[in-house]
Amino acid sequence: MMDRLERLDDTINRVEQILLVTSLSLMILIAFLQIILRNLFVTGLSWGDTLLRNLVLWIGFIGAAIATKEGKHINIDVASPWLPFAGKNLAGRCTHLFSFLICGLLAYAALKFIKHEAQMGNVTLLNIPTWIPATILPVTFGLMTFRFGLHFLKTLSGVGKFGIMDEREKER
Amino acid sequence: MTFLLIAIVFLLMLLGAPLFTVISALTLYLLFSNQIDSSAMIIEMHRIATTPILLAIPLFTFAGYLLSESGAPRRLIRLTNAILGWLPGGLSIITLVTCAIFTALTGATGLTIIAMGGILYPALLRGKYPGKFSLGLVTNSGTLGVLFPPSLPLIIYAIVAKVKINELFLAGLLPGILLVVLLSIFSIQKAVATEVPRTRFKFSEIGKASREMIWELPLPLIVFGGIYSGYFAVSEAAAITAFYVLLVEMVIHRDIKWRELPQVMRKSMVLVGGILIILGSALGLTNYLIDAEVPMKLMELIKAHISSPFLFLVMLNIFLLAVGCIMDIFSALTIVVPLITPIASAYGIHPVHLGIIFLANLQIGASTPPVGMNLFISSLRFDKPMFSLILASLPFMVILLIALAIITYVPWLSLALLK
Repeated sequence: MMDRLERLDDTINRVEQILLVTSLSLMILIAFLQIILRNLFVTGLSWGDTLLRNLVLWIGFIGAAIATKEGKHINIDVASPWLPFAGKNLAGRCTHLFSFLICGLLAYAALKFIKHEAQMGNVTLLNIPTWIPATILPVTFGLMTFRFGLHFLKTLSGVGKFGIMDEREKER
Repeated sequence: MTFLLIAIVFLLMLLGAPLFTVISALTLYLLFSNQIDSSAMIIEMHRIATTPILLAIPLFTFAGYLLSESGAPRRLIRLTNAILGWLPGGLSIITLVTCAIFTALTGATGLTIIAMGGILYPALLRGKYPGKFSLGLVTNSGTLGVLFPPSLPLIIYAIVAKVKINELFLAGLLPGILLVVLLSIFSIQKAVATEVPRTRFKFSEIGKASREMIWELPLPLIVFGGIYSGYFAVSEAAAITAFYVLLVEMVIHRDIKWRELPQVMRKSMVLVGGILIILGSALGLTNYLIDAEVPMKLMELIKAHISSPFLFLVMLNIFLLAVGCIMDIFSALTIVVPLITPIASAYGIHPVHLGIIFLANLQIGASTPPVGMNLFISSLRFDKPMFSLILASLPFMVILLIALAIITYVPWLSLALLK
C-alpha cells in the first residue's frame, strides 16, 4: 500500500518537475522579450504581463507542493534538537497530521474559490476564464494534503524522516 | 476554548510544523468563528500571488541560485583577494564583502554560510586566523547582505508595507555599508593583534582575476544602475538579471551542465514556493486582524504606556531581535510588519526608515543566541557544537548591536540618499 502511494507520488513529482521547468523557462524568456520589445520596438505582447503573473502563481504553488515532498517548508524548529529520538517521532506525527488536516481545509476552501470564480465568469488572457489558471490552487493544496498524509503514515510505520527540518538543514 | 486551541497550535509551531499551516490554522479559525467563508483566505492568496511586483522574486532567486552553483563565488573571492588581500586582515574583509554581495543576490543567509563559508572558513584557517574568530566571522557575515539590493527581504518588506522598492533599495545602502565597515575595523584590529601574516600586492593578479570575472562584473551595474536611474522597473531588472546570468553561466562559462539546470530551477523554486505560501497565508491573517482593528487597539495600549518615540524604538529593537531569533526573516516580515507599521507611524517614524530597522534587526536576530537560525546552520556545516559557536559569535554580536543602535537612532543614515 505504502509502496503504491509512494510510486504515485514519484509520478506526480515528474509531472511537477516538467511543469516547473517549462513555466520558469517561459517566464524568463517572456519577461526578457517584453523588455526588448518595449525598449527597442516600443511595443509589447498585450497578453505578456497577464501570462507572467499567472506563471508566478503556478511556479510558486508548484514550488510549495515540491517543498512539501522534500520537507523543506519554512518552520520554527526550536524544540526538536533537544528532543530524544522517540520524542522527535511523536513530534513528527503530530505536526504532519496537523498539516494534513489544515491543507485539506485549504484545498476545500480553494475549491469553493474556483467555483465562485467560475460563477463570476471573468476572463483573462486570450479569453480564457480566470478560474482555469487558478485551478492550480486546489490542485497543489490537494497534493500537499496527500503528501503530508504520506509523511504522517511514514512516521507511523517508523521509517523515513521524523523532523520536517532534517533535510533542509543539510541543504541550506 | 479559543485559548486552548491557540496554545495547541503554538505548541505545534514550536515542534516544527510548517509555519504556513500554523498561520492558516489561526486564520481559518478566525474566519470560521466570525462566519466568514474560508475562501476569503484563498482570494487573498490568489491576489498576492498575481501582484505584478512579485515577478521579481522567482527571477532574482533563480539568478542567485544559478550564480551560487556556478564558479562565480570562486571568481569573486579571487578578485576581491587580488584587490584587498594585501591589507592587514585582508582575507577577513574579503569574507565580509563577498558574503554581503552573495546574500544580497540570493536572499538566503543560510545559503551564504554554506556556499561561501565552505570555501572561506578553511582559507581563513590556512591564512593563520584564529579558529574562534574565523568561525564567528563566517557565521555572521552571511547576514550582512540583507540591506543591499536586490535582496529578497527588501522586496518582501516593500510589498508587505506598501513602500516604494526603489526608495528602500537606496535606504539600505548606507546602513549596510556601516555594518560592513564596523566589522572590517574589528577584523583588521584582530588580525593585527594576532599577527596574521599578510600577502603581497600583485598588480598582474588583479588583471587576471578581473579578466576571469569580466562577464559577471557588469551585473551590479545592470541591477543598481537600471533601478536607481529609473530606467528599469524592479521586475524588469530581475528579468534582465535572470536572462543575463543564464547566458553567462550556461553559455559563456559553462560552469553548469544543461542537464543540471532543472535541478537548480527546482531548488530555487522550492524556496520561492515556501516564501510565497507564507506570504499568502500571513496576509490573510493580518487582513483579518486589521479589519478587527487589532493594530489600533495595540497602538492605544502601547501609547498609554510609552510616550517617547525613543522608548518605542528600544522596545521595538528588543522585540524584533527576539522575533528574528526564533523566526526566519520572511515569515517574520509578513506577520509582524502589518501590525507594527501603523503604530510606528503614530510615533512619527518614517516608513522607509522603519523598513531598514526591521531588516537590520531581524537579520541580526538570526545570529542571536540561543536559537538564531544561522548558529544552527553553521554548527551543522562546520561540525562544531552550538556552545562554541555562541562563544565565537559574541564579539561580533556586540559590534552588530552597536551598528543596530546607530541605524535605529540615526534616521539620517537611512534617509540621506532619498532626498
